[in-house]
Amino acid sequence: MRAWRWTVGSGVALVVLAAVHMVAQHFVVDEAGGMRTYQQVLDYIANPIIFVIECGFLFAVAIHAMLGLRGILLDLDPGPRGRRWIDPGLWVLGTVTVAYGLVLLTTLALRA
Amino acid sequence: MSAAPGPVRHKGRGPAVSGWVAPRGRALGGRSFALHRITGIALVIYLYVHLGVLSMLLIGESAWGDFLSVVTAKGFLAFDVVLIFGLLFHALNGIRVALVGSGYLVRHQRALFWVATAIGTPLLVYAAIHVFGGA
Repeated sequence: MRAWRWTVGSGVALVVLAAVHMVAQHFVVDEAGGMRTYQQVLDYIANPIIFVIECGFLFAVAIHAMLGLRGILLDLDPGPRGRRWIDPGLWVLGTVTVAYGLVLLTTLALRA
Repeated sequence: MSAAPGPVRHKGRGPAVSGWVAPRGRALGGRSFALHRITGIALVIYLYVHLGVLSMLLIGESAWGDFLSVVTAKGFLAFDVVLIFGLLFHALNGIRVALVGSGYLVRHQRALFWVATAIGTPLLVYAAIHVFGGA
């Protein structure tokens, strides 16, 4: 039940955060394909409000992705030994994902 | 309210992975469940591709410029439209699943699917036109 609540909560947050991310990153820029140039990316990430929103997006997407994978893996009925590895494995993967994303965001924000 | 709030619970295996892409004999809910999982897995794969690609920004301006010249080619932009379809389907169907799974509008879950389709289709068309430079 707790996993369900976190899945729904992170999903609701993602509907808002992914919409902001997609529109701001890909739909308001006049460059080809809506992609920002290098300098435009740095300037965008350096905005403190955007930085916080993108960090929130990173956390929400990592939580939602790990819980989604967990649900699929449990449905595949991996047996007691497999089940024991699912939660620790996904905690490690999620933590590495968030850590890499934070390093990326912070490095780019500091370069602006 | 006809169902207890919370996710559907069952013992043992869920639907076999091989069955996710078999549309015959499935109700609308079963098909959307399969597509929800397929788009979810695709989005997780895309998440890691996306994070990997963004490391180009760490390398520097020329690496990012080279990357942009590849991904803004017309042929590649078609992938963006597929991605946006996956995002829209997963998000809108996810709202439906969250509502029904939490005990809201359980008897209207089919109608919710078509409401989601009615919202998602024009958004996808607009996004596709925008991606290819028309809006």
